[in-house]
Amino acid sequence: MSEPSRLKRLRLDGDDLRLALTCFAGGVLLALMTGPEGNITDPTYSFRNALFSSHVWGFLIFGVLLAMASVYRRKVRMGVVSRNRETPRRTIRVTMTSVIASPSWPLRVATAVVALLAALLIADFTGPFVAHKFSVHVMLHQLVYTRTYGYVFIIFWLLNTVRVNLTPRSNRGVPSILTTTSAKLVAGAVGGFFFALCADSWLPPRFSFAYFTFTGNSDRAFLSHWTTYLWMLAGLFVGLRAVRAERTKSKMDLVSRWKRPHVKVTADTRFALYGAALFVAVEAPKFLSPFWQQSLFTQIGIYCLLAVGLNVVVGFAGLLDLGYVAFYALGAYTNAYFTGALPIHPPFLLNAFFSIPIAILVCMIAGVILGLPTLRLRGDYLAIVTLGFGEIVYVLASNLNNVTDGAGGTGTSGSFSMHIFGIHWALAGQAIGDDLNFYYLLLAFLVPIIFLFYSLNNSKVGRSWAAIREDEVAAASLGINSLKYKVMAFAIGASTSGVGGVLASAKLGALFPSDFALQVSILVLVLVIFGGMGSIMGVLIGAAFVGWFTQFLIFHSFIDYQDADKFMYLGAILILTMIFRPQGMLPSKRRLREFHDSEAGLGSADAMGAAAEGPLS
Amino acid sequence: MASFVALGIFTGLIYSMVALGYTLVYGVLKLINFAHSEVLMSGGFAGYFFLHVAMKTTTASTSERVLILIGAIVASGLAGAIVATAIERFAYRPLRRRNAPKLTYLISAIGASYFLLNFAGKEFGRNPTATAQPITSNVSISVLGAQISAFDLVLLGVTAVLFYAVNTLVSHSKVGRSIRAVAQDAETASLMGVNVNSTIASTFAIGGFMGGVAGLFIGMSTTVDYNMGFTPALLAFTAAVLGGIGNIRGAMAGGVVLGICMYVPIYWLHQPYLEPVIGFAILVLVLMIRPTGLFGESLGRSA
Repeated sequence: MSEPSRLKRLRLDGDDLRLALTCFAGGVLLALMTGPEGNITDPTYSFRNALFSSHVWGFLIFGVLLAMASVYRRKVRMGVVSRNRETPRRTIRVTMTSVIASPSWPLRVATAVVALLAALLIADFTGPFVAHKFSVHVMLHQLVYTRTYGYVFIIFWLLNTVRVNLTPRSNRGVPSILTTTSAKLVAGAVGGFFFALCADSWLPPRFSFAYFTFTGNSDRAFLSHWTTYLWMLAGLFVGLRAVRAERTKSKMDLVSRWKRPHVKVTADTRFALYGAALFVAVEAPKFLSPFWQQSLFTQIGIYCLLAVGLNVVVGFAGLLDLGYVAFYALGAYTNAYFTGALPIHPPFLLNAFFSIPIAILVCMIAGVILGLPTLRLRGDYLAIVTLGFGEIVYVLASNLNNVTDGAGGTGTSGSFSMHIFGIHWALAGQAIGDDLNFYYLLLAFLVPIIFLFYSLNNSKVGRSWAAIREDEVAAASLGINSLKYKVMAFAIGASTSGVGGVLASAKLGALFPSDFALQVSILVLVLVIFGGMGSIMGVLIGAAFVGWFTQFLIFHSFIDYQDADKFMYLGAILILTMIFRPQGMLPSKRRLREFHDSEAGLGSADAMGAAAEGPLS
Repeated sequence: MASFVALGIFTGLIYSMVALGYTLVYGVLKLINFAHSEVLMSGGFAGYFFLHVAMKTTTASTSERVLILIGAIVASGLAGAIVATAIERFAYRPLRRRNAPKLTYLISAIGASYFLLNFAGKEFGRNPTATAQPITSNVSISVLGAQISAFDLVLLGVTAVLFYAVNTLVSHSKVGRSIRAVAQDAETASLMGVNVNSTIASTFAIGGFMGGVAGLFIGMSTTVDYNMGFTPALLAFTAAVLGGIGNIRGAMAGGVVLGICMYVPIYWLHQPYLEPVIGFAILVLVLMIRPTGLFGESLGRSA
């Protein structure tokens, strides 16, 4: 096939333009999202600033590249551009050698120049954010940094790959000896090395040896980072895979060599896995740096507890609870009340341990009072009623000055302590040294709760929830009182949140209404949705990931990141997860099947219908 | 007392404009549009920017002020309509195409709401700011002891005109006929040649226009803020349920009734912050006692 005819066929139609525009708009949106914080009294401030800072150009270029790539991909899919007319796809193998050894040197120089410019731009906008830094001077300064060269090589590589793919095979002139095993291995390792050059500066210093040995600019000491070696190893592994795959293919044995054997997970294996997970959960935190210890203990642990509770409502029962934080607040204020931190005084002071059952009771009653009238109706009413309830609790907590001390915060609420049988154990509240103690306390609550919910989901109750989710009418006709089970799920979620509130209040000390704003509910919802609703392990991993990621963003700001922006990204995660992977990253099998069935028109995957009427037995 | 009733009525008018958006979308999709609060917010910001630019260059003759006000109404309404349509396009349509379960719509709408909310916060700043006031007249009339300001009269007029327009649009135009058809049975409507996608988009746009204008009035009476939509939208949803969700005239009446029911107790309680608390209590009461609302819920029948 000759060049002109291919170009002639590459005519763009309306759909291509739409796709390109969408991608370009994506780039613009990213640029605006990561731009500097605005200022309403000067409304043009943020737009103006955003347009003259370098990372915006970077994202715009990203948008253009994305558009080009997606249009190209669409063309290939539609068969307009056939890459494999003369040379079948599998014979095209681009290695380091074939790229470097391709003959036309002017093209190679041009590619290198383009790569250099692109790399400078990327290096510029992934660097620390400075407004108005899109200048030749600053860009040239990037030449000092090693990672710029990493980018140069990667982009050079990619561009050449495309070029080599486009060039007819006869012109390529690849020396045969360099396409051998060793060449592939070297190419893989070198690729890994270059990736390490780039990735190094994104990784937290905690993950590098520099953390222990050097206190300099980590960017210039990349060889001392063990991540560099890790990436090289990964590259080597990729090269090895390529060699082995080729060998397998040459043997024409395509049947079962690389097919993954079916692994049956027996109860023993599963038990051992859980044991190992528990061991890691107990031991690993001791080796973390103080910063991650603190954020892990004060945030991710609590997130896990809250997410596991919300999972019962959203994942198991298929309802939406947007006022989850209200119960968290109820639990926290219950503890504050019974430990004497509020202006109104309790009849007797309690240890925080004893306010847990009271908090469970309070939240359960509140849950039933809210859920019973609402869940009789359509399921989406629950979402908005809980949204309203969350807002009401927040408004009351900020304004009832003589009950909650208002927005100024309560006194220090009491904490956990134990003095039985000669054992003395206490948590002194805010002391940072207590983080580890608090974490183990949290774990002591979390692990039984996880087991409880796990077995609940595998019991009659869990089966009823599944039946209600999948077909509410059929479930009702088989005698399942759907109202009862929905209210039960809602109340269980509420009381878990209450327990979380008591634990958190002991750690927080003084309670501020702003700790219980609606945003916390949304955050917990993101943990559940992202991880995979209905699967406890997925939810825990979702909580750990999102918790880590929001911390990560603060300190690795190649974008202008404020803490309040977190919710913008979380909102985007919610939409994208719902569009592309509604079952979450690590779904439960049953939930996954429900989503597929529901999309095929079989049953539903939520409990949003009206509950079948029946007495609450 | 009379002034509290008047306050309730005029706040209620704003709620009823917002409630219309909920009601229309609910009628067509059988879904609560959780991202509607951000339609309000975008209308408020569009009005703010329009007034910010227009009031700077004009030295305030009455006729110019009237023109500016009309321009601001159109600008904020259009902004609301655009944002609402974008929400439909990006948060609802991909799911609708896939026939996804209802839970996913709610979650994606919440995601859209939070994204837009904090996006506005990032682009425009997070501190509340007062809008420039095109209505500076101090004229006020006294009705049964309540002082009704020029602002309230303008609000009343705008609401009346918009409601008349929407009512006519829905009950007498071609778009309205297809909206009612989709509300009754989307599948059959599509068999009859109704373009369901564009009908749903235009439903969002109509509701969004009203929401945007409501946002402008909220912005003019209080402040503009990235989080300004949340509480009014929650109360407007209450109004929609009170009037019977899916019922256009019900939404209008529901807003006014809710406004009166909210402000009269404050006359005795003297705690203005209780406004959303009372609204929420009304929501729960309505759901307990008469979940179909005061006027029943059907877009097809009562519009």
